[in-house]
Amino acid sequence: MNWCDEYAMISRRALFGTVSCAVLGTKALSQIVLNKKGTEHTLVVVFLRGGMDGLSAVAPFGEDAYYQSRPTLALRKNDLHNLDGFFGLHPALSKLIPSFAEGRVAIVHAAGSQDSSHSHFEAMNAMERGVATAEESTGNGWLARYLNATRTDHDSALRAVAFSPVMPDSLRGGTNCVAIESLSEYRLRNEQMKPHLAAMYANGSDLMTRSGRESLRVLQMLERSRMDAYRPENGAVYPDSDFAQALKQVAFLVKSDFGLEIACLERGGWDTHVAQGTTSGWLASQLSDLGDSLAAFDRDIARIRRRVTVVVMTEFGRRAYENSGLGTDHGSASLMFVIGEGLHGGKVHGEWPGLSEEKLSGPGDLKVTTDYRAVLRTILQVRMRSQAAAAKVFPTAPPLSFQLFNGRSTNP
Amino acid sequence: MGITRRKLLKNTAAIGAAAGLAGCSNQIRDLLGNSSHAPIRPLSGRIGAVMRVIDRTTFGPTPELPETVSAMGIETFVHQQLNAALPMDDALKLALARLDIFCIDSAELRDLPEGEIVNQLKQAALLRAVFDPNQLQERMVDFWSNHFNIYARKRYEAWRKPTDDVEVIRKHALGSFPNLLYASAKSPAMLEYLDNDSNKAGTANENYARELMELHTLGVDGGYTQRDVQEVARCFTGWTIENRFLHPRGTFRFDESVHDDQEKTVLGQRIPPGGGISDGERVLEILAFHPSTARHIAKKLCTYFLGESDNRMVENVSQTYLQTHGDIKSILKTVLLSKALMESPPIVKRPFDFVASALRAVDANSDCGRAVQKHLDDMGQSIFEWPMPDGFPVDAASWSGSLLARWNFASELAFNRIPGTNLNLTQLKQLSTLPLVKTMRQITLGLREGGIPTNVSEEMFLALCLSSPEFQWR
Repeated sequence: MNWCDEYAMISRRALFGTVSCAVLGTKALSQIVLNKKGTEHTLVVVFLRGGMDGLSAVAPFGEDAYYQSRPTLALRKNDLHNLDGFFGLHPALSKLIPSFAEGRVAIVHAAGSQDSSHSHFEAMNAMERGVATAEESTGNGWLARYLNATRTDHDSALRAVAFSPVMPDSLRGGTNCVAIESLSEYRLRNEQMKPHLAAMYANGSDLMTRSGRESLRVLQMLERSRMDAYRPENGAVYPDSDFAQALKQVAFLVKSDFGLEIACLERGGWDTHVAQGTTSGWLASQLSDLGDSLAAFDRDIARIRRRVTVVVMTEFGRRAYENSGLGTDHGSASLMFVIGEGLHGGKVHGEWPGLSEEKLSGPGDLKVTTDYRAVLRTILQVRMRSQAAAAKVFPTAPPLSFQLFNGRSTNP
Repeated sequence: MGITRRKLLKNTAAIGAAAGLAGCSNQIRDLLGNSSHAPIRPLSGRIGAVMRVIDRTTFGPTPELPETVSAMGIETFVHQQLNAALPMDDALKLALARLDIFCIDSAELRDLPEGEIVNQLKQAALLRAVFDPNQLQERMVDFWSNHFNIYARKRYEAWRKPTDDVEVIRKHALGSFPNLLYASAKSPAMLEYLDNDSNKAGTANENYARELMELHTLGVDGGYTQRDVQEVARCFTGWTIENRFLHPRGTFRFDESVHDDQEKTVLGQRIPPGGGISDGERVLEILAFHPSTARHIAKKLCTYFLGESDNRMVENVSQTYLQTHGDIKSILKTVLLSKALMESPPIVKRPFDFVASALRAVDANSDCGRAVQKHLDDMGQSIFEWPMPDGFPVDAASWSGSLLARWNFASELAFNRIPGTNLNLTQLKQLSTLPLVKTMRQITLGLREGGIPTNVSEEMFLALCLSSPEFQWR
């Protein structure tokens, strides 16, 4: 079975794509830089494109059905890092173990959307718009709705940055966006054009004119603080991958106090229809880059951890059964990672639906027991301190059935 | 009295242009500033109509094209473009002849690295978008290349896409949509891209079936069900790529041994058992002549050429589709000679359109090689490398983030800093009977006065024209 290898390739593209997109306000630079009234929190949204196999990343070694449905691909208990006596972390994610142990990583297993199309496009589309299924007509992205709902008169010019070749659907319809190939290359090659561009783009409310003005503001902001000179802290070493390099740029932006609220990153290569491997192989190398990059980021931002939350999501998980090509086909539930402080972390959350045949749905899928929107809404409410906006962004999301955050910052 | 805002704008613009009153342009600009679409509005009068037709039919005016079209008349120009029989000049012929992808047998292409083939595909597309006199044909090649998108970096696609480009897209770009669809269905590049080459009885692969209906024909709201997807997938089992010893490798092959020969029902129509290859052909026929397909294609073409697609226009165009059995020239005639073309809002140029239009506007000589392609990549439109089957987006919001890269390209082009690309200022100034500033204004801003400073070097003036908000729209 070789359903859609185009996805293995999308990955390649997404891997080298390090284009960002900045969503900006409309205030003068002086106000922007001085502005400290924003949330002062940055939400880093990592989208794993292609459908990440949650059953390998955090494997239910405590369930026999796991080994029955995946005689070749199931991870052996001895190879896993035992998280709680039932679930084990894939060895390629071992760099995340310290953060997990310190309570900064929460795993929400069997999370996903209600989209049953098994189509990447439909499922991603639903998730990026923040709706239950792609049929829902809401046109704009969930992060765009967040930005629109929390807009003020003194917003930073750099509220949101995304890393993708074209604007991701999650930011579609929000405030305008500016693509940034990479922060250090985000510069005007002919400086003498600048005053003329400023004049040409000074007026006009059309989309291109507005985004031209915003590009100029971002250029001006980035002149004050150059990415080239950035050195990660605490001996953090980022891998060479584009994903890791994008995370490093996020760390730089957060530390530069640009008022960054949203960073959108993506990483492809998860569509493992063929030969996905176990402790080594394609999936393991994917997970290893993911884990190493996130661990480096967590280390780098130690000083400002209270201001950053990372959420990792994917459009769907893989089928419970392995296929004849020693890979797995499109399924339903996968999992989400939430990384940050104040979390009820070091724990695998969510009701486990089970893998025995009668408990699977559709063509053999792990059932979704936690709606991904419930997790995102809780993060917006608690970390982005935006009760009203969270309700606007996800008006119909069901409540979260467990406590994701500690202490007073409880769930709704 | 019923003087609409549009009429008011037209009159003001006409007066401003005729009298050359700089003061008026500010007034216009203020009025236009309220538009959520674009900083410009179509100009009235003959030159406005000429510029509009050029902007939509071609990849943008060259310095001399407005005078040429003015002289021959709009209708003649559109018919000439629909006929697409203008000869290429020798320089273009030579540049294309140098590309291996068009002169080496596709089997031998395997000796070339993937990246080299993809670069040549890009180079050929750019060369023709900029220099081919049959501009409408090139715009349709762009349209169909996205409609039947193929990602050239999937598995062996780089070696298959050149044949698809010539035998499917170019061959039928201005021909018949049903024939284009049939050719695409049997194109090895498409068979591999949407995994139909591994679509076998018993474990039917739905990938092609789904995209065939959702993207190529009916449209997502075209009235098919998940059940139809499964049935169509069964009809196409065994449509694969030749890979047997001593057979013409890489061509289309129907493999009867893996075809599901049971009865199927597609969109309510019974497909009797034992049909073999005719099952898939019957499906293509049902889809090609389905009213939903007519509407879907009409809507996409209206969006492409008119920006907004109002329902009446889409209805007209889809009627033409049904009456002419999907004759692309007839459909385009309905769009390009419509009143709607003149009245439609500005459309944002995608990066490919922008690069082509900039090179044309300054009459640059270019090999359209890696240096130009790198600029296009920076703007986010690496052609032939869009991984998803839906093709590059057309909406303005998707491309609003590409301005900095556009400015950088404009400057490098105007200051002659792009290797393999040459701008000859002296020659440029001789191309039109108008002075440079006026020519460029006509090309980039319509006839609007002001906006671009003229007390700068000629190179800077050109860079700013191409960087202006106005030049990002057509």
